[in-house]
Amino acid sequence: MLIRFTVNNKPVAVEAPADITLLDLLRDYLGLTGAKEGCAVGECGACAVLMDGRLVNSCLVLAPQADGSEILTIEGVHAPDGGLNDLQDNFITYGAVQCGICIPGMVLAGEALLLETLTPTRAAIRTALAGNLCRCTGYQQIVDAIEATAEQRRSRIA
Amino acid sequence: MGVEFMPRFDYVRAHSVVEAVQLLGDPGVLSRPLGGGTDVLVFVRHEKPPFDRLVDISRVPEMKIIERHGNEIIVGAAVTYTEAADSLVLQEVAACLVEACLSVGGPAIRNAGTLGGNVANAAACADSLPSLVCLDTVAHLCSLTGERALLVSDLVTGANRTALRPGELIAYFTFPVPPAGVRSAFTKLGRRNAQAISRLSMAAAGRLDAHGRVDFVRLAPGAATSQPRRFTEVEAMLLGHAPTDDLLAAAGAQTAEVMIGMTGRRWSTEYKEVAIQALAERTLRRVLVG
Repeated sequence: MLIRFTVNNKPVAVEAPADITLLDLLRDYLGLTGAKEGCAVGECGACAVLMDGRLVNSCLVLAPQADGSEILTIEGVHAPDGGLNDLQDNFITYGAVQCGICIPGMVLAGEALLLETLTPTRAAIRTALAGNLCRCTGYQQIVDAIEATAEQRRSRIA
Repeated sequence: MGVEFMPRFDYVRAHSVVEAVQLLGDPGVLSRPLGGGTDVLVFVRHEKPPFDRLVDISRVPEMKIIERHGNEIIVGAAVTYTEAADSLVLQEVAACLVEACLSVGGPAIRNAGTLGGNVANAAACADSLPSLVCLDTVAHLCSLTGERALLVSDLVTGANRTALRPGELIAYFTFPVPPAGVRSAFTKLGRRNAQAISRLSMAAAGRLDAHGRVDFVRLAPGAATSQPRRFTEVEAMLLGHAPTDDLLAAAGAQTAEVMIGMTGRRWSTEYKEVAIQALAERTLRRVLVG
């Protein structure tokens, strides 16, 4: 069936079977391999994308459910010049990236939180990351990177 | 392009309850409703889909409402956990439901999963069930033959079993606004704080009169009995009495006794007996003592 939606601000129309997941549609039909398949049952968050501004596990979204939606994947998160944005920069600065497989989901979970608030407590940051598993970092550095980005975005507005 | 296979099932999006019911009642096409997909997609990953077509009801506008009409609350079945938890209407009158919704999975699951899906899937551990039962929630079911209403505690007949008939859709829920001054709460026991399946959970609501005696109380455990229900035996022993430590402890013990009376003693009882006792006592304390 024909599935039309916007991915990273670009309208797309994809002919795909009705029974595949949004994750498979993004990876296999659109070549957007930033979202990863970890657990495939909604427990790890490696496949997380934003759907109409909200974090979802793309492994648990049926592809045609995305019809008419705006999807943001990690490929759509970058600075205006195409380089890393401030949050991604802070992931590096704070040592929040080791093996990297959880990072696309972590960055999107962070962006979803920062869309809602620029004054998150550390507890709120941990809650926002509760569905994203990382086996390397122990989470501290990821929380630090998001906290620092919130502070920098606040001071840029002030 | 990926390799093309015959899709195992078809997909169609409904734009109204009337359209959804027509699609679900289509003769010759075995259809099931699709809400947030958080249960269905996990299921079809390993099992042969027991349907030919999914009817997507997740965007039906009339199934997304949360409204107060006088002394009644109406919650659409396609409302997500996040939408329920963010609702000022529910925050004001149904703290137990808000807390239950916030305890589900992580943010991405809460952004997709729906209350209607949680009830229709009817997992024994479903987090919204005890709170919905505690609030005396009624499910409104629509089909080609009309509409009928069932208490959620009657709709869910066992683990993953409901009284839903083929072609029937949970369209919305209603519950009476609890009397002024009633507080409610939900407590969950899982292996970790987030992304955890409930081992046991507890919803309670209550209020004291001017003399400090219980004049309203509800108690509904989750994952404790195969069919969710209010433990009216425990409610009865609390009504009219001051919530002393002794009485709350006795209420906890009675909760365990009622559970065992329904389930019998089984391998998990040794753990569940003490756990449900503490959970009932603590949750009742939160609503009756503070």
